[in-house]
Amino acid sequence: MIPRVVNWQPYGPDALMFEFAERADEAAFLRARAIAAELERRPPPGLVEFVPGFVTLLLVFDSAQRARLPTLGPALAKRFGTVKPQPLSAPVLKTIPVTYDGPDLPRVAEASGLTVGQVVALHLAPTYRVYLLGFAPGFPYLGGLDARLRTPRHASPRPRVPAGSVAIGGEHTGIYPAASPGGWNLIGRTSVVLFDPARGTPGGEDAMFFLQPGDAVKFVPAAA
Amino acid sequence: MNPPAPAQPVLELVAPGLLASLQDQGRPGWRRFGVPASGAMDDHAAAEANRLVGNATTAPVLELLLQGARLRVLRDTILAVTGANADANVPLGARITVPAGGHIEFPRNRTGVWSYVAVAGGFVGVPLLGSVSAYPRGGIGRALAAGDVLCAAPSRGKPLPDSAAGIPRDHSVPPPLRVWPGPQWEAFPAASRAACFARPWTVSSQSDRVGYRLAGEPLEPARLQLLSEPVLPGTIQVPESGLPIVTMRDGPTVGGYPKLGVLDPADISWLAQCRPGQAVRFQLMA
Repeated sequence: MIPRVVNWQPYGPDALMFEFAERADEAAFLRARAIAAELERRPPPGLVEFVPGFVTLLLVFDSAQRARLPTLGPALAKRFGTVKPQPLSAPVLKTIPVTYDGPDLPRVAEASGLTVGQVVALHLAPTYRVYLLGFAPGFPYLGGLDARLRTPRHASPRPRVPAGSVAIGGEHTGIYPAASPGGWNLIGRTSVVLFDPARGTPGGEDAMFFLQPGDAVKFVPAAA
Repeated sequence: MNPPAPAQPVLELVAPGLLASLQDQGRPGWRRFGVPASGAMDDHAAAEANRLVGNATTAPVLELLLQGARLRVLRDTILAVTGANADANVPLGARITVPAGGHIEFPRNRTGVWSYVAVAGGFVGVPLLGSVSAYPRGGIGRALAAGDVLCAAPSRGKPLPDSAAGIPRDHSVPPPLRVWPGPQWEAFPAASRAACFARPWTVSSQSDRVGYRLAGEPLEPARLQLLSEPVLPGTIQVPESGLPIVTMRDGPTVGGYPKLGVLDPADISWLAQCRPGQAVRFQLMA
């Protein structure tokens, strides 16, 4: 196998940023997952955490490793380049009921030249993939949005987006777990709680997050 | 073996002021679930307050924004106040014993932004993902409100001798803040890279625990479309407007703005204490 080129650069004195793909697609997701698995198998000394992006991966170290990072960077880039992505065997399917009554439905319809009904049908059709959680606790960036529904973010974000808002931002769709400012186009809402600290149990904190990276997501119309 | 001594109520928050919350040194390790580390905005002052009363530097402290907070002392308590100068009726940067019935007040902000109160033993909070730091915006914990009673864990440590206290920082004259090149450094026009370090910046009033916006002559932005990628606290992001936003402790874990640089982790505390209108300069490292 020909190793892939993985670029790296320092991000401040205690972190390294790796770039392992060019496009935010399924292949990039599987590569990120394979690198994460490799890091969990053999974590480099002093690794505090790793954070995946769509095509990047951030590694944060404790400051005792500072002097080693310039040599660790290229060594890890080489190691990540030889990682073999594995297809997901059986992703967990999570169903999320949505009421499609968001204030930006007309905006998305106008941008796509479709009717509101068609926008809703196209948003309901795919089975999405959780590419990553980020921005806020439990906020999923879902891949698989119909290309016709891609809609630019608002130039200036809303000061307050309600919790549970289902939204479209560029080529992704996602859900706001908590009320926060936000620039995505709001098309609907769900009563599913994406982040609930009370769901956590000692040693099983992941249960706090309704969605995990890699999960399959299907939206269904909420019962009226 | 003696049973562990229970936590004791020590302070009542009579008035929270502009914002009061419990913070410690944060919860690193959960960014990949979208959870920022949070923690004390001025980690240096929080650690100093803890050292003064004999706590581990990671113990929970009370963080107060600017002014208006009032505390009633419920039992004789060893405590220390550090950080901003809010004209408190107790000395800054010293270990003191306040008798039951006493009040501590933070009536008007003079310099700095965030004040810290540590009590011997450390405040007791509800830990979540390894930290008691409140991050209400993300659904973790809450801001403190009038009437809240704060409890202290039993003290085990040995307070620092007073002579060992550090020299308090003068927040009205921050040093040039050390900045490392960010992941998109090369994508910025050379003129922007130079101007970022040549110009003074002013902290905008649109600043909070999430991010500090800077005002000044706009930089020419980087010409690239960036896929959302991980962001660390202290990152100088430059959006289309050309006016930098520096991410802070509660900042989003991923973002799509080009990152010109990142503050040295030790200097985030200095920026945190810069009030709106305060001038800051950056100094390039590496």
